[in-house]
Amino acid sequence: MANIEKLLTVAQIACALVVGAPLAAQDHTQHAPGSPAAVATAGRPVKITDPASVVLIVNRDSNDIGFMDIATHKMIGSVFLGNNVNPHMAMMSHDGRFVVTGGTRANKAYIIDVATLTLVKEIPVGFAPEHLAFSPDGRYYYQGNPDDDSISVIDMVSMTEIKRIPGLVEPLNITFTPDGSKAYIGNYGAHWVGVIDVTRHELAKRIAVGTPPAVAKLDPDRYLGEIKGVSNASMSADGRYLYAADGDLGIVGVIDTREDKLIKTIRVGADPWRAYMSHDGRFAVTVNNGDETISVIDTSKNEVVATLEGGPDMTGVNFAGGKAFVISATSGFVYVYNATTWEPAGRIKIGLNLQLETATTDVADQKLYLAVSTNHSIYTIDAATEAVERITGVGLYPWGTHVMSSKDNYCH
Amino acid sequence: MMSRPHLVKPGHFALSLVLAGVATGAAAQQPASGQGAQPTQREQELQNRVDQLERRVGELESSTVLSEPETIVKEIQVYVDENGVEYDEPGPGRRPVVTYQRERVYRRQAISEKLDEALEDAASRSVAVGVDAAIVLQNVQQSTGETTPADDEFYELASADLFFTAGLAQNTIFYADIVGLSGTPPDNEVGGLTLLNGYAARLGEQNELTLREAWLMTELANQKVQLAAGRVDLTNFFDHNAVANDETTQFLSDALVNNPMLGLSENGAGLATTFDPKNGFTARIGYQQSSSDAANLSDALFYLAEVGKLVTLGDLGEGNYRVWFRTDNSSGQDQTAWGISLDQKVSAAVTLFLRAGQAETSDDLGEPLDDDEYYSFGFQLKNGGTFNPEDAWGVGFANTQLGAGDEEDLIEGYYNLRMTQKLQLSFHLTHVTEKFVDAEEVGYFVPGVRLQASF
Repeated sequence: MANIEKLLTVAQIACALVVGAPLAAQDHTQHAPGSPAAVATAGRPVKITDPASVVLIVNRDSNDIGFMDIATHKMIGSVFLGNNVNPHMAMMSHDGRFVVTGGTRANKAYIIDVATLTLVKEIPVGFAPEHLAFSPDGRYYYQGNPDDDSISVIDMVSMTEIKRIPGLVEPLNITFTPDGSKAYIGNYGAHWVGVIDVTRHELAKRIAVGTPPAVAKLDPDRYLGEIKGVSNASMSADGRYLYAADGDLGIVGVIDTREDKLIKTIRVGADPWRAYMSHDGRFAVTVNNGDETISVIDTSKNEVVATLEGGPDMTGVNFAGGKAFVISATSGFVYVYNATTWEPAGRIKIGLNLQLETATTDVADQKLYLAVSTNHSIYTIDAATEAVERITGVGLYPWGTHVMSSKDNYCH
Repeated sequence: MMSRPHLVKPGHFALSLVLAGVATGAAAQQPASGQGAQPTQREQELQNRVDQLERRVGELESSTVLSEPETIVKEIQVYVDENGVEYDEPGPGRRPVVTYQRERVYRRQAISEKLDEALEDAASRSVAVGVDAAIVLQNVQQSTGETTPADDEFYELASADLFFTAGLAQNTIFYADIVGLSGTPPDNEVGGLTLLNGYAARLGEQNELTLREAWLMTELANQKVQLAAGRVDLTNFFDHNAVANDETTQFLSDALVNNPMLGLSENGAGLATTFDPKNGFTARIGYQQSSSDAANLSDALFYLAEVGKLVTLGDLGEGNYRVWFRTDNSSGQDQTAWGISLDQKVSAAVTLFLRAGQAETSDDLGEPLDDDEYYSFGFQLKNGGTFNPEDAWGVGFANTQLGAGDEEDLIEGYYNLRMTQKLQLSFHLTHVTEKFVDAEEVGYFVPGVRLQASF
């Protein structure tokens, strides 16, 4: 029978690889229904007592989530997820107990206990999970599966996938309303934002952010080739409006979340990736990789008030110290702007021949933590002095960072 | 033994394993199809199924997913002692050395990602070629003055630019622009102070290819300083304007593309240096020879200097303000000129522009005349008030007054219809008035169409 058990194990692995479907979740716990994590971590030493004191680092090639102490810049530890998992984005739960991440090449979601740095659950989800979000009450974790055109709904109490929401088109980022009743999904394979009824976990509405112009018929290369739709719906500070940039259409659609309707479209530069909201809520900034500019939208007027030179391949915007920091992935520079006057304020050289990814900002809005994949490093940028410090030994191919309660937690 | 996979929903399968009393998933609730079979038979069936699955995994990994180690060459810093021994950490007697080393990473990639990387890598190593082609059809209708040969005539000019760009070293590129023009612009018969078709400024020889530009550009000092040297067109570096600077997509009249007070008649050997710390301030200096008849580098030499600043004025959008100064020894004596060029957004859709300049000049005998003077202004409307989202239209006025007394007033309106990313069609209507000292004032309406393709 030992032979049979071995075969069974092989079969289970093969099944997971082949079908990538919602088989029974692989539980790393010793099982205690209702509180799997508590049992899994019982007896393990506590490594992190204050979840706000760490930076999460998503390491694609070492297939782990690293935990770095913000005060000392020393690695506390990392949680290995498995071979060829390739995690894409990580997020800490609002109570700081768990970190969740999607393994793009493993088609699984992972739940990590923060205190003990223990992987407590692997949950099969849809194909190529990437971006994710927690509901405001922390009950649900929505995992976007862009290659599956679905969202996996993970119940954080039972730590199981309780539903998979179909009907989306390459869903990327997820934005919950402050009251948790709805979630908005950016569909990069289409030109609409999906509205999820969180009570029923169902796609309730599709809000078109714009329609291709009449001349689109003349330009099949552009409109029938690779589609660049909506990657994210970014919420205003009061939760009333969403700003959804559409790459192909070169616009930002403003959506009223009370009525779930489009109230305005704002033309920005070419191929905007997404809108990033300033921390005071006054501005939404799009990075336009088609013409290497940034567009600054005044949210009180919903008009573009500045269009400024940016860099190539911009992946994110962070706000700190009264400045906006725009990451240019392939140039090795972070471009700096005065976030009040919206005048360019120089650029910070990170290095030559580097691939910059994304950054998060600490809760004090003083320091950025920038992931640089190609030299396996995290760079801190002091917002006031613009001094840069390189931190090595954080893991392989860091793809992104995350700080609990930061206003600049995003992915690309 | 294992039951057959059953369809849950399109594209998703669930497998159930029932094996000698060990059940998983829904199969635990179902009778095993192999009940009553001998254990060896069940083992064999299971083995067959596992073999089948392993084959499927193999097929998937070979056809859709790459999981072999990826090789990347990395720049690393090491420390070398006097014996040539290499260390990862600094220490006494060790000097830092930058070297390169292969690194293996374990990243599963889809074949499409691998192909994209390969194509991107190949493109970065090759010479990039671009084409900018245009056909400009214009008609002249004389509005005032004694009838001239231009009245009621049609003119057509075809232009094709071939651009070559190649990366040579870190932050260093080579660029060349070869242009061929053929046709007849209206300027030969209208004979105005400035060109009614800005493309004609490139027209050297009919039906021949001309090397307009060929230069090397490199960036220094953390890429704050940019140097371009070779055969250059300094108007590409100086006297920029956001909405009145490009005869291929904006105004067609040269008076609304360049400042004639710059006085650059043709491209030549030169150097342009730009200091751009990306904080809104820019400074440029350069020189260029503007005559192919020059005997040495001191002849027909222009020196140009410019400073510019991007500012945001109150609730207005961004504005670019530039001022330049030049000297020119083409006439045998140094003559100076200055100019300004500004563009200011006043709303998300409307950008105003203004250009002005003044240049010293002399007669054929070298006697100084009153300065030549020029100004132009107008606006461009984009992102609003157009048929299609990426269209633009504008209106501009230019006045050119020579020290000798000749004067030109020109007004142009255009609408640029962006049909595709590569193809644009624009409609132009220009009115120009020429007031020559020794001739009657003449005026012309010049409607025109420009079809422009770039790819």
